[in-house]
Amino acid sequence: MKFEPYQTAEIPGPLKAIPIERPQTVAGIIRNAKRPIVIIGSKIFDVAPERTIRDIIEISREVGAEIVVTGGINRKFEELGVKEFRSMPAMELADRLRDPGWKGFDGKGNYDLAIFVGFRYYYAWLILSGLKHFSPDGFRTLSIEPYYQPHATFSLYNMKIDAWADYISSIKESLKRG
Amino acid sequence: MTLKIGELKTDVATFRNLEIVLGRVEEEWEEPLGPTPMPSITSLRKWDYKLLSRYKPFYLPFCDLCCLCTFGKCDLTKDKKGACGIKMDAQQSRIVLLACCIGAATHTGHAREIVEFLIERFGRDYPLDLGDQVALEAPNIRLVTGIKPRTIGDLEEVLDYVEEQIAHLLASTHTGQEGNNLDFESKVFHAGMLDHVAMEVADIAQIAAFNFPKGDPEAPLAQLGLGVVDLSKPVILVIGHNVIPSVYIVDYLNETGLKDEVEVCGLCCTAHDITRYSDRAKIIGPISWELRFIRTGVPDVIVVDEQCIRTDVLDEAMKINAPLIAASEKACRGLPDRSNDPVEEIVEDLVSGRQKGVLILDMDKIGEVAAKVAIRLAPKRKKFKALPSVEEIVEEAKKCRNCGFCQKACPNSLPIPEAMARAKEGDLSKLADLYDYCIACGRCESACPSGINIITMMVKSSERRIKNEIFNVRVGRGPIQDTEIRDVGRSIVLGEIPGIIAFVGCANYADGGHELVEMAEEFLKRKYIVVVSGCAAMTIGMYKNEEGKTLYELYPGNFDAGCLVNVGSCVSNSHISGAAIKIANIFAKRPLRANYMEIADYILNRVGAVGIAWGAMSQKAAAIASGFWRLGVPVIVGPHGAKYRRMLLGRKERKEDWYVYDARTGKKVYVGPVPEHLFYAAETKEEAMVMAAKLCMRANDTTKGRAIKLTHYIDLYKKFYGKMPDDIHLFVRRLADIPITMKDEILAELKKKGWKETEIPDPTLIEELVRVKEE
Repeated sequence: MKFEPYQTAEIPGPLKAIPIERPQTVAGIIRNAKRPIVIIGSKIFDVAPERTIRDIIEISREVGAEIVVTGGINRKFEELGVKEFRSMPAMELADRLRDPGWKGFDGKGNYDLAIFVGFRYYYAWLILSGLKHFSPDGFRTLSIEPYYQPHATFSLYNMKIDAWADYISSIKESLKRG
Repeated sequence: MTLKIGELKTDVATFRNLEIVLGRVEEEWEEPLGPTPMPSITSLRKWDYKLLSRYKPFYLPFCDLCCLCTFGKCDLTKDKKGACGIKMDAQQSRIVLLACCIGAATHTGHAREIVEFLIERFGRDYPLDLGDQVALEAPNIRLVTGIKPRTIGDLEEVLDYVEEQIAHLLASTHTGQEGNNLDFESKVFHAGMLDHVAMEVADIAQIAAFNFPKGDPEAPLAQLGLGVVDLSKPVILVIGHNVIPSVYIVDYLNETGLKDEVEVCGLCCTAHDITRYSDRAKIIGPISWELRFIRTGVPDVIVVDEQCIRTDVLDEAMKINAPLIAASEKACRGLPDRSNDPVEEIVEDLVSGRQKGVLILDMDKIGEVAAKVAIRLAPKRKKFKALPSVEEIVEEAKKCRNCGFCQKACPNSLPIPEAMARAKEGDLSKLADLYDYCIACGRCESACPSGINIITMMVKSSERRIKNEIFNVRVGRGPIQDTEIRDVGRSIVLGEIPGIIAFVGCANYADGGHELVEMAEEFLKRKYIVVVSGCAAMTIGMYKNEEGKTLYELYPGNFDAGCLVNVGSCVSNSHISGAAIKIANIFAKRPLRANYMEIADYILNRVGAVGIAWGAMSQKAAAIASGFWRLGVPVIVGPHGAKYRRMLLGRKERKEDWYVYDARTGKKVYVGPVPEHLFYAAETKEEAMVMAAKLCMRANDTTKGRAIKLTHYIDLYKKFYGKMPDDIHLFVRRLADIPITMKDEILAELKKKGWKETEIPDPTLIEELVRVKEE
């Protein structure tokens, strides 16, 4: 069950996400990305405890990743004291991520690793599927949701929220250790 | 017309018993025939490609495979090709086309059934009278086919055309036919266009024949909700979309003096339409209320016609000992055909329980059978008209093993296990909390290894609330009056009315129906014209303000700024597209007859209309949306709408995508990303509201109109996002476009972006519409 799609009937394949059990491995994937971007969906405040949201922000800062929030959660983000983030609807962003000609938010070119968290399961499922099939070579996605997202390139697995919070914290610690 | 001649002698021969059948006589219609009468599946391809060059498909495959032929399954991951050579983008658009063909065929079948039935009852020459205020009775039909229908019989030829086209479209999805994704998309648009024609046929025929409200802004209010049914009376529940069986039930009750003795209530669009026919009929709710209402045990007999009815409705009816009467050839449900049997025998078999359900295709019998069965069964069914006790619910909850399968099966991942754990301890409040967010699909029950009746438990937990579920909804008024179009056309085209927002579609909401009400109210307060139909129209009526009033009681039903217009059922969606077409024709005097491209070009560039199908679920909804796309009307869906597998998205930063011709000069002019997208799945209601306001902007907006539209866009953005949008510079063409109250902050933004003034052309995407070409 650990590496099965979280929602019943969302049967994926043949190409499925590489499941990652160790936070250190996730940290390695993030660290090795040249231009990572962290995309935080509107459900983040429903799913994640505040410490986890802060950990995700720290992870982004640690590797200099652009943070993009979707679905209009800007105000809640600002209430956390976060000032430096972008905002764009998820569909618009995904449409640009698949385009090798997109220059990114900073004009320096498209990203090579998109990290997704805080989305409805099926919504992210579909976006990740679009990116799996139609993004250029070298572009990868990483789902750090507390469930297995099979259309990502890499995904965590189905776990309880407390365990997930610890997992995200371990990614952060691993990145900090370098 | 048939001409019979007993004997005709000519120089050449003698004819005996000669019979000449004349087809439809070409009607007099002073408007000349336009360029595309009854367009083939490629006639409008050029227009489609113009749209698709701006709004490029972004595919979101549900599945990596194709399994439509025995070559397969074929893996289409990334650049892989199937055995037939198809690639993933074409396969996705092929599936979208299939969905739209299903949707269009469903409305067409529905329309054909209505037209044939009405011809049989009222004759082919029965006039299509939609009232004094609706001279332009069939804008979609006239636009697409070039036919101006005067009688119900005239609609047959329209349906002949639509059916033929759907056959061609379906054929193009066969293995080894169409292979290019954009050509599939063009065919998707064609299916949608046909769908609106078929819907219009169905609705204008039933409006004329059954004397439904004819564009009446003051159509009466009908009762809506689970609590509206008088439990002391026998209850007939009608479900579906084809109102004919329900009409016969009402007629029978009226003719036999039983109208005060029996309750007739409905679910889904049949409910809408029966309230357009009878002032006594009641609406229970949208599709999501089907299991809920049946599980209350209240219906004494259930009559189903067609579309969006649970396919296990017989099982559900049997659980509450209520007989089922199926009334459509398209959904026989395995039941014995009793159409030719005497009424009393059928009634006896259903009342005695010898048969749990029957198929009756003779409409004359349905009313009598349904009424008699309900009256005889109601006293016997009293013990079924009660939900389980609280104690029984608690015992049921104790069967829960906390496996979590219910939550994993739930489309909205609702926390059912948590609610079940509380219920075990006698606390039903968490189950009741789920009521607003549950779409009552029953997947949780199917998944439950302990066989727990989770929906029944939720209904019981919300029993007190359900009893108070008594609302008012305005009865579907049908078309928009020609005079209303004359009154508001100018304000819409110039942008002074900020937009028309149409809330349409099904009830598959990701976060509850209250979101729809919040959105509708926001736009009503902002003086948009809000138009509603189908399940969305019901949902909008299911919430009251502090004074106990629904939006229908707070806002008038005119097609005007700040008004709430319920056009009616699914097929009434044709009046929404019809209103946009009427603006082009009645207000702007653009030729209508078989002149699709010009009218669509007009709407795309001038009519600030946006559809929001927040809970869209069905293939019909897909077809309806695609009909709007071809007309240049963007559609926003809720999160579940992403499952339609592809978006049509513009890229606002690509300047080259946003040029039009200035029809006055032929010069190509940049107009900014208006409207930015054609099909878009929003993640939240906030995102949808901001996007809807933005998508109302059009190239033709006057500076005053653009300033009004910008005011709403910026205001909504600031309200939900807490700051100025970062793309204002793309929508300000002249300094006069800037809303006066926001001048300083907008000027600051424009300065940052290096903004320069641009022209405001007489916009068109069609080169042929340029009046004077530049040398």
